[in-house]
Amino acid sequence: MIAAAGLVAGLLLGLVFQPTVPVALQPYLPIAVVAALDATFGALRAYLDGIFDDKVFVISFVSNVVIAALIVYLGDQLGVGNQLSTGVVVVLGIRIFSNVAAIRRHLLHA
Amino acid sequence: MRHPPDRRQAPAQPPGSWDLLSRLSESAVDDDYARVAARRESETNGRHRPGWGVVVAVVLGLMISLAALQAQSREPTEARERSAVIEQIEERRTSITRSTDTLEGLKDEIASLQGDVSSAGASGESLLDAVQRSRILTGWGPVEGPGVRIVVDDADDAPTTEGGTVMDRDLQVLTNGLWQAGAEALSINGQRLGPTSAIRVAGQAITVNYRPLTPPYTATAIGDPDTLQARFSETAAGQSWFQLESNYGIRFDIESVDDLTLPGVPTGRLRLRSAVPARDAR
Repeated sequence: MIAAAGLVAGLLLGLVFQPTVPVALQPYLPIAVVAALDATFGALRAYLDGIFDDKVFVISFVSNVVIAALIVYLGDQLGVGNQLSTGVVVVLGIRIFSNVAAIRRHLLHA
Repeated sequence: MRHPPDRRQAPAQPPGSWDLLSRLSESAVDDDYARVAARRESETNGRHRPGWGVVVAVVLGLMISLAALQAQSREPTEARERSAVIEQIEERRTSITRSTDTLEGLKDEIASLQGDVSSAGASGESLLDAVQRSRILTGWGPVEGPGVRIVVDDADDAPTTEGGTVMDRDLQVLTNGLWQAGAEALSINGQRLGPTSAIRVAGQAITVNYRPLTPPYTATAIGDPDTLQARFSETAAGQSWFQLESNYGIRFDIESVDDLTLPGVPTGRLRLRSAVPARDAR
C-alpha cells in the first residue's frame, strides 16, 4: 500500500516538476523503465509468493536498471544499439509476462 | 498468504536446457528472493524495511513519468520532421512537374525554331536568287552569256544623202526591238542599258548614260541565241531597220555570239535618293 502510494507520488513528482533528463541519459531512460518494471513485477510476484525481501528488491531494481542501460549503451557504442534494445525489451517483456501470469494465478486462482 | 511450498526452493535449472523461452519464464523471479527467504526462514528474524521499497517505488514512478514525458516531447519534433520531409517531397514533385512542362515547351519551341530555320533557309535562298535576278535586270554589275552582236553604222555617203545617218531614234527603235525579242541585258558601245539609261542626242553625238558615242554603234544583247535574232527580225523594229538598210544604205550586221560579257551600268546611274519599297512590297 505504501509502495503504491510511493509510485503515485513519484509519477506526480515527475509530471509536476518535469525535470529535464540529461541528454546523455535520454536514450537509456525507456529501457531502464522497462527493466525497472520487470524488477517491480518480479518483486510483486515474490511478495505474493511470500518470499519478498526489500533488500533483494532494491538490489535487483538498481542492477536491472543499470545493466539494461549499460547493455544499450554498449550496443550504441558498437553500432547495434537498436538491435540490443530490442533484445533487452524482448527478454524483459517475456519475464514481465510470466511474472504477471503468476501474479494473476495468485490473485484470481486462474 | 498463499504460496506453494515448492516455490520456496530456488527453481531447479534443468541441466543442459537451452530452451530460451522456458528458461526466461522459470527465472522470471530473481532467485535471490527464494535464497534470501530460505535463509531468513532459518534465521527467523523477519526484518522489515518499508522505507527502501517506498524509495524504489518513488524512483520507479519518477522514471516512468519522465520516460513518458520524454517520448511525448520527442513526438512533435518527429512529426514536424516528417511533415517537413513530406513538404520537401511535394515541393520537388511540383518543381519536377514544372520542369517537365518547361521541357515540353522548350521542345515545341525547338521544333518551331527548326521549322523557322529551314523556311528561313529556303526564303534566304529565294532572296539571294531574287537579288541576283534584280542585279542582272537592273544592270548592277557585269553579266555574261550568249546573245547577239549588232553593228550599225552610217551609210558610206552619209553626210550627203538624206537619212543616211543613224539617229538616236533609230537606236531607240533598235533597243526596243531587242527587248521585245527577249534580250535580257543590253549595251551599246560598252554602255550598259539600265532602268534609268537614256538614248538621246547631245549636239552632234548620240549619248547613252550621258556618254557620247561614236559610230559605228555596236549593240550587244544577251538572250536566247537560238531565238533572239529570228524574233528581232519579226518585230516592227527589225522591219524598220531592214528598210533603213535597203533604202538608205545604213549598215546593219547581226550575228550570234556564244559568249558575251556586258559591263555594269555606271554606278552613278544607279543612285537611289527618294524611292523606297512600297509598304505592301516589303
